[in-house]
Amino acid sequence: MPIKVDHLTHEYNPGTSMAQKAVNDVSFEIQDGEFIGLIGHTGSGKSTLIQHFNALIKPTSGKIYLDGEDINADKSKLKSVRRRVGLVFQYPEYQLFEMTVLKDVCYGPTNLGLSEGEINKAAKEALTLVGIDESYYEKSPFELSGGEKRRVAIAGILAMKPKILVLDEPAAGVDPRGRNEILEAIKKMHDETGITVIMVSHSMEDVAKYANRILVMDKGKLAMEGTPKEIFSKVDELEKIGLAAPEVSYIMRGISKKFDVPSDIFTVEEAVDAIYKMLKGDSR
Amino acid sequence: MEEMIKTKDLKYKYKTTYEEKGKTITKEITALDDINISIKKGSFVAVLGHNGSGKSTLAKHINALVKPTSGTIWVKGMDSKDESKLWDIRQTAGMVFQNPDNQIVATIVEEDVAFGPENLGIPRDEIIKRVDAALKCVSMEKYRKNEPARLSGGQKQRVAIAGVLAMKPDCIVFDEPTAMLDPEGRKDVMETIKKLNKEENITCILITHYMNEAVQADRVIIIDDGRIVMDGTPREVFVQVDKVKGYGLDVPQATEIAYELRKKGIDIPADIMTAEEMVGAICRLK
Repeated sequence: MPIKVDHLTHEYNPGTSMAQKAVNDVSFEIQDGEFIGLIGHTGSGKSTLIQHFNALIKPTSGKIYLDGEDINADKSKLKSVRRRVGLVFQYPEYQLFEMTVLKDVCYGPTNLGLSEGEINKAAKEALTLVGIDESYYEKSPFELSGGEKRRVAIAGILAMKPKILVLDEPAAGVDPRGRNEILEAIKKMHDETGITVIMVSHSMEDVAKYANRILVMDKGKLAMEGTPKEIFSKVDELEKIGLAAPEVSYIMRGISKKFDVPSDIFTVEEAVDAIYKMLKGDSR
Repeated sequence: MEEMIKTKDLKYKYKTTYEEKGKTITKEITALDDINISIKKGSFVAVLGHNGSGKSTLAKHINALVKPTSGTIWVKGMDSKDESKLWDIRQTAGMVFQNPDNQIVATIVEEDVAFGPENLGIPRDEIIKRVDAALKCVSMEKYRKNEPARLSGGQKQRVAIAGVLAMKPDCIVFDEPTAMLDPEGRKDVMETIKKLNKEENITCILITHYMNEAVQADRVIIIDDGRIVMDGTPREVFVQVDKVKGYGLDVPQATEIAYELRKKGIDIPADIMTAEEMVGAICRLK
C-alpha cells in the first residue's frame, strides 16, 4: 500500500496576516514495508505532514494517494483510510482510559464492528507484538511503567491492523530502557509483519539505527531524502537546519582524521567493529 | 563551600487507588526513601533514573511543591516544612519543566518574563532591568516583542528559563528541559544551563534521560526506586557500565564503544566520556 504525496501544501490561517505554510509543496513516495525516519527542527512541518496521511487534516493544495487512490476524493472512504493508516500521537499514553490493559486495546477494534472473538484476538496479537504478555491483561494501564504504557497505547492502534503505522516521537520523554523496548518492539513488528513504519523523531541516533530511508523537513519543505548513510554524511547541512548527526558519527569523524577508519558510521555496533578492525590492522 | 540543598532521611509516601478485577485497591507507594544528600552552592548536578524512580518527586521537594512525609529538606538553610519560608524557598529555587508550552503565560515574550517579578511586587524600573538581563542571559533579547507561540521549542524553553531567572533564584531545577526539543534546541538549552552555572553561579540541578547531557555536569546522582544508588563525578559513575545499565539507564556512546572494545580484548581506558578522549586513547594504542 504505497503512499504518494504530490505537491502537498498546507497553509494555516490562509488569507490572514497570520497565514503560514506549514507544509509547502512537498512531494515524495513511500513504498510498502519501508521504515521511514522523518526528521526536522521543531516547527518544520513534520506533525502537520503526518496528519495528512490518514486525512485528519486536508491539504490546502496537492494530493495524497494511498494505493493509487486520492484519499480525500471520496468522503465515504475516510473510515477505510483511517483503518489502513494508524497514527500514534506524541505521548499516546495520555489517551489510555480503560480499566484494564486488554480493554483499552480492544477499544479500537470494537469501534470497527468486529465480533467479540475477533476483537480479543486482534487485541492480544497487538499486545504480543509490542512485547506485553498475558500477565498484564487485567492490570490497570495506570499501574504500568512509562515505557509499558506507551507500548500499550501503540498496541491500541495496531489492534486495528493498519498497513501503515505513523508514530510521532514514540520514545520522547521515556527513560533509556523504555526507549529501547519501544523502538525494538516497533522494529520487530516491522520485520515480522511487513508493516510500513513512518517514525518522526528528534533523536538522530534512533533514526540512524532503525530507518532504511530518511526524509528531512526544513521550514515546510522537503530538504533532503536518502539512506541514513547519505543523510548523515551531510553533517554541515544538517546542522544548518537545526539538526545534527548521531553522536557516534562525531566520534568516528574525529578518529578518521588520524586513522584509517570509515567516517560514515552512525551506530555503536558499527563503530566498535571499525575501530577493532583498524586496531588489529586489517581495516581494508 | 556553602550548601544549597541538604536533606536528612527524606521520605515521601503517597497512596494510590485503582481498580483491578472489579475491586478497588489502595496501595501505599514510597516514592523517596531515606534520601540524604548535600548539594553545594554553585554546583551542577545531573539526576538520572528511570521513569517512576522518584527523581521528579525529589525535584518537587526542592521548591516545596511537595513536602516530605518524614525527614527534612533545607533549601539554603530554610526548612520546607516552615510555612513562613514558603515564598522565600520558591524564590530561591526556580523550576523549569519539560513542556515549554505549559509554562508560558503571556502573549509577548517580555511580558512572560516579567510575570514572576510582577507577582513579587517589584517596582517597574527594577522589573525592566531584570527582564533585560534575563533575556540577554538566554540570548533571546532579539525576540522580546515576539509572540511565544511562534518561537521554536528551544527558544520557548529559553524564554521559560528567562522567566525563572527574572526571579533571581540561587538555584534552578530543570526537569527534563530538552525532552521535547530538536538537536539544536537541546544544544542551545544545554549551553544556557552551563552559562547560568558558570557565569551567574546559579546552582543547577538537571534531570535528564540524555547521558550526553549528564556528562556535562560536575556530579551525577542516580535514583532507583526512591533511593540514591550512585553518586559521583560523571566519570566515576559512567565507568560502571553494567551497574548503570542495570538501573535501566545508558552510558554516553563513547563510553559504550570503549566498553565493547574492552570486551573484545582491546586495552582501552574504560572511563572514556567524549569523542576527543576516544581519539586520544586510540592514538596511544597505535
